[in-house]
Amino acid sequence: MPDPESRGPAAAPVEDRRQFLGWLSRAFLGLWAVGAAAVVSAYVKPPRRGEGAAERTVRVGLLDEFLIGEARLVRHGVTPFFVVRVDSERVVALSAVCTHVRCILGFDRSRRALVCPCHDGRFDLAGNVISGPPPRPLATHHVSIRAGEVFVHL
Amino acid sequence: MSVHPEDARRPRPGWMDWLEQRVELSELFSFLTHFGVVYTPLDTRRPLRELLRDLATRTAPSYLAWPRVLTPLAAILFGILVVTGGLLAYYYRPTPETAYDSTRLIVRDLPAGWFIHHTHAWASHLLVGVIALRLLRFFWDGLYRAPRELLWIAAVAMTWIVLQSDFTGRLLGWNVPAYWGTVRGMEIVFALPLVGPVLAFLLGGRVMNEDVLIRFYILHVLVLPAAFAALLYATVATVRKVGLMPAGRNEREVTLRHHLYSMAMWTVVLFALVLTLGTMFPNRFFPQADAYSTPATVQPPVYMLAPYAVLFGTRLPTWLTGGVLLVATLAVLLAPLWLARAGEATVRRLRMAGIAAFALWIALSVLGAWVDRR
Repeated sequence: MPDPESRGPAAAPVEDRRQFLGWLSRAFLGLWAVGAAAVVSAYVKPPRRGEGAAERTVRVGLLDEFLIGEARLVRHGVTPFFVVRVDSERVVALSAVCTHVRCILGFDRSRRALVCPCHDGRFDLAGNVISGPPPRPLATHHVSIRAGEVFVHL
Repeated sequence: MSVHPEDARRPRPGWMDWLEQRVELSELFSFLTHFGVVYTPLDTRRPLRELLRDLATRTAPSYLAWPRVLTPLAAILFGILVVTGGLLAYYYRPTPETAYDSTRLIVRDLPAGWFIHHTHAWASHLLVGVIALRLLRFFWDGLYRAPRELLWIAAVAMTWIVLQSDFTGRLLGWNVPAYWGTVRGMEIVFALPLVGPVLAFLLGGRVMNEDVLIRFYILHVLVLPAAFAALLYATVATVRKVGLMPAGRNEREVTLRHHLYSMAMWTVVLFALVLTLGTMFPNRFFPQADAYSTPATVQPPVYMLAPYAVLFGTRLPTWLTGGVLLVATLAVLLAPLWLARAGEATVRRLRMAGIAAFALWIALSVLGAWVDRR
């Protein structure tokens, strides 16, 4: 801080210099804050906890174990899904995550439907919305059957 | 520093007037005085803008000149520790199974995690140093005499709390030296007659398990920082009332604006310092603690080297060498309070005793480091 006494004929340059230094130090503090914010946000960003690396092909069991018209929940990481045996040949896999607010659906055996416990959204066993708030049908996964074993490809 | 004295000069009807009609901004602002950011008396009945205009020009003794700067430095370092510690708590998991892995995740895997970890560690080392220097300085200037006894009590308590924070923080990483250093340290404290069993009860037992770890964690992140903040407040409060310097010293007067600016600059300087130290001299990363294998040497922390030398060099029982001497070392720090009415001559004579005690402590520490090397 320059002395107030030193002001005289050279008052204007001193004022200029003071303004410039003030600007410079504020810019420095600003840059510092931007750097700190960048470092902290890089750190605070939630890390990947391995859910992305979960297996892409899931063996869910023997075809004979599935009853026709029955949906079975497979607890797979953050992407649980239902395996539904439609008839003797065909098996479909449907995401078990409701498209409304990500609740996990349950299988209602009497109605042959997938029911959401949160807001009573209902899906048929092909994944289409029957009633309730869900905006989209359920995502389906590719299923293959090899040597009597059922595989779901996520 | 959202409130800038410069802004007070321009009339700017807006959010501040809107708020002023609904809350007493001056009262809110005066809250800052309790932590030493503003240290002149404020008239809280006046509107904030007038108050700030007044403050911008009023001068007061500088608190950021040597040796008074030590208290603000401790406060800034404490602030850095709170911020970095809060960030570390995002990912740290205080159970024996996850403590080591979560620390490794922070230091090794997360972007800038190592930086936050080492900044925290180095800020704590610097805080130990600043607190010790502050204690020496208070003793040198006789600031334990009336009416400044509270300053001395707070300084001694802060020393104790900073060392406890360091001790509890060490264990959290759950690595070999942390684990075994804590086991040995706790055994010394638990050997104390009467007090030891009570401490063992409070700290979760003599066996190092999840109960002990979570209690250390609670102490480290909640109890000790809260106590430190309270003591910082007590220090500032008593300084505002009785002053930090004995009367008759030359005091440099500065404006509040200058003070706030210096405070910001000190924060930048300290941050740059811990950043450089953390980058150039990061803490070694040790292997995970194994409860079934004790390493040959465990380096005690620097401030424990002197008790360690006594513990190693004598054949006396642990409860006497470790426990009682450790407590006596801290108790003797409160002894100057009996000289509350002493004159300048006594203070000058006591300085010599202080220097002798300090020299003895340093000599014992060197001895302890040497014993450890062998």
